[in-house]
Amino acid sequence: MSVSNVIEKLGRSPEDIRAENLRGWVASIDHVTTLATVIPRKRTRVAGVIQNIRIDPRNGRDAIEATIIDGTDKMVAKWLGRSSLSGIQLGMGLIMEGVPGAGPDGTLVMLNPEYVLVPGPEHG
Amino acid sequence: MSNAQAAFKRLVLGRPMSSGELEHTLLPKIIALPIFSSDALSSVAYATQEILLVLGLVGISALAHVAPIALAVGSLLSIVVISYRQTVRAYPSGGGAYIVAHENLGVFPGLLAASSLLIDYVLTVSVSVVAGVDAIVSASPGLHRFDVEIALLFVAFVAIANLRGVRESGTFFAIPTYGFILSMYVLIGTGFVRCLGGCPVAESAHLPLKPEVSALSLFILLKAFAAGTTALTGVEAISNGVPAFRYPQSKNAATTLAVLGTISISMFLGISWLSHLMHVRYLDEAKYLALTGHAERSVIAQIAFGVFHGGPIFYFIQIMTAGILILAANTAFADFPRLASILARDRFMPRQFMNRGDRLVFSNGIIILATLASLLIAVFQANLNHLIQLYLVGVFISFTLSQSGMVVHWKRTRERGWQRSAIINGFGAVMTAVVLTVVVITKFAGGAWIVVCAIPVLITLMRSINKHYDSVRNELAHPERRPLDRRPGNQHVIIVVPDVDAAVSRAIGYARSVRAADVVAIAADPAYSAPWHRLAPEIPLTVAPGGHPDITQVREFIHQKRAELSENDFLTVMVPEILESQHLIEVFRHPRTYRLKSGLIRDRGIQVLDIPLLRRQIDPKVDQAHEPARNYAFVLVSGVHNATLQALEYAETLRPVDLRAVSFGLDPEATQRLGDDWLRDRIPHPLEIEDSPFRDIGLSLVQYLRQFRPDGLDRVVTVVLPEFVVTKRRHQILHNQTALLVKRRLLFEPGIVTVSVPYHLSQS
Repeated sequence: MSVSNVIEKLGRSPEDIRAENLRGWVASIDHVTTLATVIPRKRTRVAGVIQNIRIDPRNGRDAIEATIIDGTDKMVAKWLGRSSLSGIQLGMGLIMEGVPGAGPDGTLVMLNPEYVLVPGPEHG
Repeated sequence: MSNAQAAFKRLVLGRPMSSGELEHTLLPKIIALPIFSSDALSSVAYATQEILLVLGLVGISALAHVAPIALAVGSLLSIVVISYRQTVRAYPSGGGAYIVAHENLGVFPGLLAASSLLIDYVLTVSVSVVAGVDAIVSASPGLHRFDVEIALLFVAFVAIANLRGVRESGTFFAIPTYGFILSMYVLIGTGFVRCLGGCPVAESAHLPLKPEVSALSLFILLKAFAAGTTALTGVEAISNGVPAFRYPQSKNAATTLAVLGTISISMFLGISWLSHLMHVRYLDEAKYLALTGHAERSVIAQIAFGVFHGGPIFYFIQIMTAGILILAANTAFADFPRLASILARDRFMPRQFMNRGDRLVFSNGIIILATLASLLIAVFQANLNHLIQLYLVGVFISFTLSQSGMVVHWKRTRERGWQRSAIINGFGAVMTAVVLTVVVITKFAGGAWIVVCAIPVLITLMRSINKHYDSVRNELAHPERRPLDRRPGNQHVIIVVPDVDAAVSRAIGYARSVRAADVVAIAADPAYSAPWHRLAPEIPLTVAPGGHPDITQVREFIHQKRAELSENDFLTVMVPEILESQHLIEVFRHPRTYRLKSGLIRDRGIQVLDIPLLRRQIDPKVDQAHEPARNYAFVLVSGVHNATLQALEYAETLRPVDLRAVSFGLDPEATQRLGDDWLRDRIPHPLEIEDSPFRDIGLSLVQYLRQFRPDGLDRVVTVVLPEFVVTKRRHQILHNQTALLVKRRLLFEPGIVTVSVPYHLSQS
């Protein structure tokens, strides 16, 4: 490790380093759009790491949401009527395809997307 | 944490690593060998010396027995290495003595192995570091006076290296380990070559040895053998560390173990034989000092000095010896925290030991180990020969249990060729059991009794921790609990008034927004009556009798109020606080408030709500008693159980605009279970599980909460913390560590209030 390398590493925040790792991981997956460049209401394929899982059993139907991040932005995948997480785990990679729309707070949401869970870049 | 603090921490400990980076710290064999073998190899530095020390008690004639004894120790070492190679193959996920004994022999043998190992690791650190300091003192006798200080410094050094994480230490540790191996072979080789033309004579060769024991008895021979078995310490390290190896893990670990055994045996035999040829004598430190007037050199130093007549190679050997010994302590620093975390997972040790720090290492275990080892060094005044008396008991208990466990393992699995494996492990177990008996008998009076007494104490402690956690788990899961009435009408509020100030005004605003059934205030000083009535005419203020702010009066008032309410009611005690600065010292500035809060938490049916306010955040132009329009409530949960449910019911009475349960994922399995339980029980509130990539719950929580832009006036965030209250105070340390950390972290966050909702466990 060279001195300039050390200085550069000390100067960057751990979050930056993680974001860069995530971007590198997403770039290695075929045919996906980075979240920052997604166009609403247009069918797209995206990938990211699960940062947040939201479970809402109210209103009689079970809603599960997973927020993914890819180092550029975030997006929410929302499934209705699921009664178990079945493999959705923090840190897992999620590759999904669907039509994103804007959610209540402006975050993009994909409703019942087609998806595959893959090992994330960080959790082996 | 302030920026300066964070920068310092990063400089010393390195940048925080995200959980995923754990994978990348897998070790190639060439690096794994020095990491896991430094303990085993370094014992060569003092094993021969320990044999000579015992034989010297009989007199000069007995010293000739060093060679056969060394051969016996060498054979034992090879038996143990062969035996452990099987463990490594059978337990690719790490087969420490605890795991093997626990799985195959049962809970009690498992705990016996675990407590032996924990003690053994502490001694590994003390003994290795002290022996390392001896090597330095041998090269530079003037430092003799500072040996305790130097030893403590080295413990601190190794502890910091380990808090940084294992891989960077690994590259670093390779140098002294390989340097030591090289220097030992150069020493042995040169020594033998020089012996061809008449051996050089050691400086101690003419030292008069006064016989203290009349004749060479079997007991003395066994005692010398037991002393020499220190050469075996640390052999098991590789079996603990299989998961740290690169793939194929078992194969790589077994190869490394074989290499380790070969190097260790050859070095030990070479040094022992040279010590015999050169007539090295070794005395107790104090006796030597009395006899000669200067500090004694270690046996290795004497040999090296004789072979090289001092000079640069002598100093190189001393530096490398010191290096490997001090870094041998590293093996224990990797294993102690790992074992502690496994024990914590099995609920035999406090949960805090499961937490990895932000460098992906088990920080708590490292700190405890360093503390205990330093304590031993200080108590024994860095005397190697005294410390070594304590060693070995734990080592051989775990050897024996681990190998016996393997015999049962082979009988159970009956893999191809299991009989052969069982015989190898069985033979090893019998041999180490015999040596264990010898060690206990010959070393008992010298200090081994301390360990023999400490082991049952540790076992009892671990069992009682386990019993406690189990009973808590059963109680929490019990479905008998009646839900509390969660309408706002069941919420009652008492505001504690330490002073009529901005923080109290905020409490008034908060209390108004809750629409509680009734709100009252209690002050200690009658002078507050007038300003209070101007501020909140609708809230009656009671002045506690006694005049002076007295906690017992306030507490009594609260108890009276509680007694008037029905069981279904919540009673929130609001504690407003003005903080002068952003330092943790603030926590101790108001000892009365602190005592009141910690006392109230143990009283049934009372919830304590903290409203802290930083002095410099107060805007005098704003009405601080403004009623917040938006209150976001977050209940911090760890599982679906009674304490969580009660906290949710409580949070509902605060009339929040948004109420969610939040959990931070440190353990993927646990969060998965939490999510599925939540769906199964149809808990009528949303649950969010947020990743904490740097395993810092405090940081993740703060970042999460800041999304809601709390200002304390119009937008308030309420963090609801379910807490356990146990009947026995000494059990309290086993719980609520997360809640404590969160409260401390949120203290200085503007607009965030925390409320403790205690759940009282009866533990019938």
